[in-house]
Amino acid sequence: MFRLMFLFFPVLIFSNILKVGKNEQFKTIKEAVAASKSGDSILVESGVYKEGNISITHPLSLIGIGRPVLDGEMKYEILSFRANNILLKGFRIINSGEDEIKNIGAVRLYDSHYSTIENNIFENNYFGIYVQRGYRCMIRNNKITSTRATSQEGIGDGIHAWVSEEIWIKNNYIEGHKDGIYLEKVIKSYIYRNYSKKNLRYGLHFMSSNDDVYVGNTFDNNNAGVAVMYSNNVGMVANNFINNWGDANYGLLLKDISFSKIKHNRFQSNTTAIFLDGATKIDLFKNDFEDNGWGMKINSNCMENRVINNNFINNTFDVSTSGSMTMNDFKKNFWDKYEGYDMDKDKIGDVPFHPLSLYSLLVENNPSIMLLFKTFFVDLLDKTEKIIPSLTPVNFVDEQPLMKRVSI
Amino acid sequence: MNFTKSLILAVSVLAIMSCQKSGPQDFALGKDQCDNCRMTITEQKYATQLITQKGRAYKFDDIMCMNMYESSNPDKATNAKTYVIDFPSGKFLEKEKATFIKGGSIKSPMGGNTQAYQDKAAAQKAAATLGASLTK
Repeated sequence: MFRLMFLFFPVLIFSNILKVGKNEQFKTIKEAVAASKSGDSILVESGVYKEGNISITHPLSLIGIGRPVLDGEMKYEILSFRANNILLKGFRIINSGEDEIKNIGAVRLYDSHYSTIENNIFENNYFGIYVQRGYRCMIRNNKITSTRATSQEGIGDGIHAWVSEEIWIKNNYIEGHKDGIYLEKVIKSYIYRNYSKKNLRYGLHFMSSNDDVYVGNTFDNNNAGVAVMYSNNVGMVANNFINNWGDANYGLLLKDISFSKIKHNRFQSNTTAIFLDGATKIDLFKNDFEDNGWGMKINSNCMENRVINNNFINNTFDVSTSGSMTMNDFKKNFWDKYEGYDMDKDKIGDVPFHPLSLYSLLVENNPSIMLLFKTFFVDLLDKTEKIIPSLTPVNFVDEQPLMKRVSI
Repeated sequence: MNFTKSLILAVSVLAIMSCQKSGPQDFALGKDQCDNCRMTITEQKYATQLITQKGRAYKFDDIMCMNMYESSNPDKATNAKTYVIDFPSGKFLEKEKATFIKGGSIKSPMGGNTQAYQDKAAAQKAAATLGASLTK
């Protein structure tokens, strides 16, 4: 016990609390930061602070009391973290500067380790939080919104991480940025329960980022809910991909990725729920595909993917593909279009199900055929094709279709 | 009489068809997809375009994407016209006529980090301020 007290002793003696406010010792945050030593806490009273760029070069806790406002006046990068162990909490950070080349944002971390950004409101910024070479940083409970751009040019990402490791992004709400969360060369990171809505490009975007997991997030009404590109070993569990409607919009866009798992997700009301291009060795287990235009679009360059125990309900097309190559494994899924029977009562349909309709194949190759949708002619085509398959790949089949919906 | 009428019609139809624009097409930002990496094209100034011999246009969001596409699809790339965007003005420019600067603090969508310039002097000036180097 005595030893333990010694452990905390230096902290208790040498860390100070500096107060910033109208009637306090320091009038500006800059003065307080300059006067502080490593490990000090700075308490900022409510008010509006227009101080340009505040650069922090030693470990500090910066805590807002009554949500003080840091205004960048559309000119500055508001906070720059250039040290480890920095805590930022309780502020409203607005109107950051904008620079196409330097990518400045509201808060930027330069080689910062063990830093935390929590309980802040970011409004009307170019980039919200920009992490550059971060390590073990936590970003949680922030609200990051922006309305300053209507096109994708002239706006940055909500949370942008670049060449970082073990970044935790939890419980944030992000709206109106280019990408909600963008990860480039970010490894071993954890994205948990964020709500990413109405971003101009993607809700969450992986670029060359391996060994990451995202769990329990909702991606609502983005250009694509999530885009995973040129990455390996990404875990995607229990997320909601909803309302991603539009011409080239996807719930989940996979491009050149492999060794990943997609489990327990809900895809509802997307133009295309999942688009796979160059995706290999991916497990899709226990997902719900409901009310989408296309459930899965799987390009013929995709190999060795396993699609097992998923529900395909009320989609216009369940599956479509671009070529005749089928090297993917469809097994034990529930298809609401299945018209077979189960005589031996093992809950598996006795007749195999061909999820690929001839019409969807034709539409894939020639989109203007969409005009004939739900006409008698198309019904006739599909029925004939089912009896005598000629154009659809014969081995594109679910041999064991389920009779009942899988609970995910 | 009937023959002349149909001849006039045929000629006028041909004339209208030949008036079709053969140059590069404008980008629909936020709608068009890069034909190589499937990303939505968002930054006009880094976007590029390849028009095949037959006149089909392929759009890319980065100069690197076009290069990758050209090397992996030689059938489409032979005798194709390639266009880049002049960085200061945002206008189309034939790739052969452009001067490129690369690296430094330039950041383009797919990491090609290359800007194209019509004017070599402007390229050199930009390269000096951005810490980039001329590639050609």
